[in-house]
Amino acid sequence: MATDKELSDFLRSAEKRAFKRTTYAVRDDDAALDIVQDAMIRLAENYADRPMAELPLIFGRILSNATMDWFRRQKVRRAAVLNFSDLEAAGEDGDFDLLATLEAIDGSWASQGPADRLSREQTLALIDAEVAELPTRQREAFLLRYWEELDTAETAQVMGCSVGSVKTHCSRAVHALAKALAAKGLKP
Amino acid sequence: MNPMTRARRPDLDALQARFARRVAAGLSERSGALPHDIGERLRVAREQAVARARQTRLAQPAAARQLSVQSQGHLALGESPSLWQRFASVLPLMLLVLGLVLIQHLHEQAEIHAAAEVDAALLADDLPPEAYGDPGFVAFLKQPEP
Repeated sequence: MATDKELSDFLRSAEKRAFKRTTYAVRDDDAALDIVQDAMIRLAENYADRPMAELPLIFGRILSNATMDWFRRQKVRRAAVLNFSDLEAAGEDGDFDLLATLEAIDGSWASQGPADRLSREQTLALIDAEVAELPTRQREAFLLRYWEELDTAETAQVMGCSVGSVKTHCSRAVHALAKALAAKGLKP
Repeated sequence: MNPMTRARRPDLDALQARFARRVAAGLSERSGALPHDIGERLRVAREQAVARARQTRLAQPAAARQLSVQSQGHLALGESPSLWQRFASVLPLMLLVLGLVLIQHLHEQAEIHAAAEVDAALLADDLPPEAYGDPGFVAFLKQPEP
């Protein structure tokens, strides 16, 4: 059972990511704060007796459900369903070399030093904007898998889909981000 | 997928994972600098959630204690509480058995009473002449008096 301090520490560690994840989905800071608060309360009321190790997965699921509830309440279900079911192909653009692009971006980031502070902030803003532009399912899979550091099975559980779908979404998200960042000039 | 791409696949997977983690690290870095008011609202939300969890935890043992006290409330009835409790639990069963015995007894009494009434009516009634033609009745008449 998680103690008050453990629960508080967990929420402190998760709250900013939760807020950003939700903001990407609903595009509204106030709504995102309400949803995160709602998710925190649901976690505290119903799952505070669970072991600490289970809380990230449970909280991820609650947050996703709370976000969906918000969409339902806002009566934009149609838009949400369209966004949440976008299994669109990422486009088999044969002339885009993902490996070369990733290698280039990798080299670019590795070479950044403290002197590149302004450039760094611009890069972070660019990343933020491009993540926000990802299709919802791709973004959810990417953030849960790499930002929340859930494994593929846990990500699938939170998203309510198969492990294979998670891998596909993640791969497409990486592809789209690499392409977009390269196009915006994040090059060696 | 051509053979060259297949050969480079492990590199690609590793690079994809490293790229994704760097993007995630960038997101963490950026979200660490959220506006003050948002940070404050998140802090308030967190504190409310922790307070709610505390209330829930406190409420559960209190409810359990209340239930326990209620179940032990019969202890005050006498010197031997377990005996009283057992008696109280057996009492409805005893009443049920007694009731069944009583019903059975009344039913038997009613049957006896009905049979007696039929016998009395037969004995009190006039003997029909046809009875003397009945071999069984004649045999009955020839029996010695007890």
